[in-house]
Amino acid sequence: MSLRPYLTAFGLQWKIGLRYRIAVVAGLVAQMWFGAVTLMAYASVYHAAPDVQAPLSLRQAMTYTWIQQSLFTLLPLGCLPAIGDAARTGAIVYDLLRPVDMWNWWLSASLARLLGNAVPRAVLLTCVAGPLAMLVGLGAWSLAGPESLILAALALVSITLGALLSATIVMWWNILTARTLSPLGSYAVGTPLAVLLSGMLLPLPLYPDWIRPFLLAQPFAGITDIPIRIYLGTPIPGGIATGLGLQLFWLMALTLLGRLWMRQTVNRLEVQGA
Amino acid sequence: MTQSPSRTLSAPVLYRRMAGASIVAQLRYPGTFAIQAIGNFVTTLLGFFGIWSLFHRFGSIAGWDIGTVAVLYGLVNVAFSLAETLGRGFEVFGGEYVRTGSFDRLLLRPRSTLLLLLGHELRLRPIGRFLQGLFVLVAGLWLAPHVQWSAALVLPWAIAGGAAMFLGVLIGQAALCFITVEGLEVVNVLTYGGVEAGQYPLTMFGRWLRRFITFILPLAAVCYYPALFSLNHADPLGMPTWIGAFSPAAGFAFFGVMVLAWNRAVAGYVSSGS
Repeated sequence: MSLRPYLTAFGLQWKIGLRYRIAVVAGLVAQMWFGAVTLMAYASVYHAAPDVQAPLSLRQAMTYTWIQQSLFTLLPLGCLPAIGDAARTGAIVYDLLRPVDMWNWWLSASLARLLGNAVPRAVLLTCVAGPLAMLVGLGAWSLAGPESLILAALALVSITLGALLSATIVMWWNILTARTLSPLGSYAVGTPLAVLLSGMLLPLPLYPDWIRPFLLAQPFAGITDIPIRIYLGTPIPGGIATGLGLQLFWLMALTLLGRLWMRQTVNRLEVQGA
Repeated sequence: MTQSPSRTLSAPVLYRRMAGASIVAQLRYPGTFAIQAIGNFVTTLLGFFGIWSLFHRFGSIAGWDIGTVAVLYGLVNVAFSLAETLGRGFEVFGGEYVRTGSFDRLLLRPRSTLLLLLGHELRLRPIGRFLQGLFVLVAGLWLAPHVQWSAALVLPWAIAGGAAMFLGVLIGQAALCFITVEGLEVVNVLTYGGVEAGQYPLTMFGRWLRRFITFILPLAAVCYYPALFSLNHADPLGMPTWIGAFSPAAGFAFFGVMVLAWNRAVAGYVSSGS
């Protein structure tokens, strides 16, 4: 079995992601706006209650928010658009006929799509929110550097796992799309789940204490929350190993169950269109 | 534009027919519609859970009680959901009308282009946001300490002003499409970003943002001031409370300005299609 078809699928979607340069700039403006609104809100909440010992300091909450904003397009918001179209038009039948492992074929395309969207945006926003913000005198509002080089390296490993995990969750949306024959349902379910459970809406460590263990243990925490915690050096119960372990666990569990679900879906798939 | 009344429908009747057809079309896929509406309800309700969690941890939202914040949150969400329901045609205007050239066909019809685009779709999906906004608004009125009886008049007036303002943003976005052809996602800063900013009290933001959402986009006029008036809450920034009874008119003024901009843009329209 050769890897080439999967690399081709990856390359194609990666290029599609890089194609829309104006969309990247538009996204940058939107993310800076949301970042600014959120940061000002946090700052005034923190300043109004100076005695509260929060699990994240204000500075950490700001860095957390910037990294979340820069990785927004890495979140599994819905199915791969190409698969959504294929499901609606019936072209999905071509994918079924290909002599490739369909899970890996779709997974490499989904991963490339996420990375092609997220990498340019993340690099740009990190530059703007980090060094550039410091230069123009907004250092107190900027994205802070990592605690240490080791933590930065571990965070990089963790975000790689996070990207894989996100692509695996996108696979679940893809299968849902193939089942319901419309991509809209996957967006309606995927976007709220991803935005809330990844910590995009509010950093996961800031939720009420009773719910925090559950929030850490669910799969979406592995996409961005665990890498950011490692980057910030905020304690994870059980240490960094637990964080990476959780990511690996979800990656394997979702892949195994997802493959089962996919097989079952493909066996009873009714294709529409002619 | 005037024709013999026996042969043509009046504008409200025409709109009612278009809206009816659109509702029937959306209910054709009841499963997808149900998932979308529930997804919409859950996403937006979770948004308030984030604010509640901040309140829970810090004891207040920058010194504001949860009732007032809930009223603000409910107001901006209900207003936006109404605009989303009515203004779908403007949202997709760039991609579906300008790029394809099908706007030319609308120009041939003896009706206002605004009416025809309003009739593009009466979108049912935002009903989720609407219901949860209403739910949070009522809960906020229940929790807030000094609710005025006049709130029964001022809040609907504020919601109408807010819906007009957001609809104005969508019309402005569509007018921009004559220049940019494709829709500009940056405008999301004013719609979704406006909802994000509108749900927090004005005092939490820096001066540049306060000015922007008071004088350029009259968000504070349709949200913050009417809420203060309804709850008899003094403005920490020093504006008299009674201003909230009149300020929603600014939302309609903004709408009017955007309609003028639209008419100018249509007058200068040169087709892009074939």
